[in-house]
Amino acid sequence: MKPRQYVNGWATIALFSLLFIVPFIFIFLMSVKSVEQASRLDFSWPQDWHFWANFVEVIQTRNYMLVLAYFNSTVITVGAVSLLVILGAMVGYVLQRRPSGWNKLIYAGLLAGLIVPPAVVPTIWVLQGLGLFKTLHGMILIQVAYGLAFSVLLFRSFIGTIPGDLDEAAMIDGATPWQIFFRVILPLLKPVTVTLIVVQSVFIFNDFTNPLYYLPGKDNITVQLTLFNFQSQFQSQYNLLFMNILLVTIPPLVVFIFFNRQIVAGMTAGGVKG
Amino acid sequence: MARVVLKDIRKSFGAVEVIKGIDLVVEDGEFCVFVGPSGCGKSTLLRMIAGLEDQTSGQIEIDGVDVSAADPSKRGIAMVFQSYALYPHLTVRDNIGFGLSLAKLPKPEIARQVDAAAETLQLTHLLDRKPKALSGGQRQRVAIGRAIVRNPKVFLFDEPLSNLDAALRAQMRVELTDLHATLGTTMIYVTHDQVEAMTMADKIVVLNAGRIEQIGTPMDLYNAPATPFVAGFIGSPKMNLFTGDVAQKLGCGTYGIRPEHVLLDPAAGLWSARVRFIERLGADAIIHLEAEGIGPMLARTAGDTDLREGDAVWASPMTGKAVKYPG
Repeated sequence: MKPRQYVNGWATIALFSLLFIVPFIFIFLMSVKSVEQASRLDFSWPQDWHFWANFVEVIQTRNYMLVLAYFNSTVITVGAVSLLVILGAMVGYVLQRRPSGWNKLIYAGLLAGLIVPPAVVPTIWVLQGLGLFKTLHGMILIQVAYGLAFSVLLFRSFIGTIPGDLDEAAMIDGATPWQIFFRVILPLLKPVTVTLIVVQSVFIFNDFTNPLYYLPGKDNITVQLTLFNFQSQFQSQYNLLFMNILLVTIPPLVVFIFFNRQIVAGMTAGGVKG
Repeated sequence: MARVVLKDIRKSFGAVEVIKGIDLVVEDGEFCVFVGPSGCGKSTLLRMIAGLEDQTSGQIEIDGVDVSAADPSKRGIAMVFQSYALYPHLTVRDNIGFGLSLAKLPKPEIARQVDAAAETLQLTHLLDRKPKALSGGQRQRVAIGRAIVRNPKVFLFDEPLSNLDAALRAQMRVELTDLHATLGTTMIYVTHDQVEAMTMADKIVVLNAGRIEQIGTPMDLYNAPATPFVAGFIGSPKMNLFTGDVAQKLGCGTYGIRPEHVLLDPAAGLWSARVRFIERLGADAIIHLEAEGIGPMLARTAGDTDLREGDAVWASPMTGKAVKYPG
């Protein structure tokens, strides 16, 4: 590598580290301050460290609401992402492998799913009619509905790169369509599945507005909505708010760090023949 | 082991008929090669025998049973694909044993059969590798192994050697011929390479535009091609084919003479020609001639020929070797 490339590379890394790490440091410093110092909202070193006290208070607030929120958010995320992967891969597979006259109509539907903004009030009306309003499984279905079009398109284009010869070889080996899908195709979708899991689980776990609309009620709290615990019209406890933010940020960060290598590996793999 | 009978097989894609009525019998234990140019329907025909494609009309019998509507796995066939079609996420062992595990055979039995197939194909040391860690020839052997463990009545090969380099192709040709001799199973092999057809086949079926041009042993097709198409297709380099006045003077519509049957003489002969170009292959040489009143002509001579580009020579057909077609 030339010296100039070396310098440019490090400068870019430094710039982006600054952009991404500074806000994180700010959150961390705020979360360990006392109430008085935190209310100044400045980028300063904490006078005393209240990490443990703040941590315990955030967890215990309103009868351990954050723990319940973690549970609810995890249930919604795992449920919705599992359905998105299974349904997206199945629909994408059928769309890719069995061309029919209906495909154009189905694509139009998928595209509409991506383009048309969701209408909140009619959705709530439908959910109430089905008895799904204010329920976790109703929320899971909402997230699946919002993410399915993207998931199907992603899987469909990836399945297009898997040669049809594999399906035919499996067919000759005596596999049923279900066996072809689950034993041959699905294992090959690992790279795109990992990508989808990361993208969608971070999105769904961090979702603020949809649970706000469709999942009201104290028992249905999700992690992002716990931020309201420390913010009100007349008084905000910024140290606790930022501690809450810190705790809420960690799970998606762990998911991302854990799967990051696999996403990259997945993108560079592929190539069935060659 | 089985006899394959095709009765008036037709296939249309929309309004286009690509297979226009094929009647064929492949005898038990025969190595039959379908050969023809791209788009002649040879792969489609093979896929119909495999059951991967439905015929528009006609009947397919394997071992005396009408399988026209049967699922591919119920036909007693195994197929080797051009792209090998190995499952990339499975090891060689699991690739070969995939069909057996689907059939829910006990594990020791699967292991025994996989090991036997691997032994036959010298794959034993590769059993725990994934396909991406194999060379082209090894992948092809795994694909053949997967076919062998199915213990099929008929093997189907769809251009299995076309992704290999020339040296490996020559080696695999010999291996496949040996395999056929060992197993004695009926094999149907599709290729566009007439060298593969000539070297491996018991019987060659030459296809052109969805029809059978000729069926015969390799030497039948070489010595007595039934149509100008077969004459031009079988043999390398191609047979010299003349039409028009030249052919009429010799009493036919199309006159054909193979390059190895063209005699060159500096002093006398039938056609006066000039040497345009010489391809020296070592053992022999291909002489590209420009014959007077005829045009380009090929001749094959010994590799140590004294001819040079630009030389004037006389060319004559060897007695009894020319083929003539009316019209």
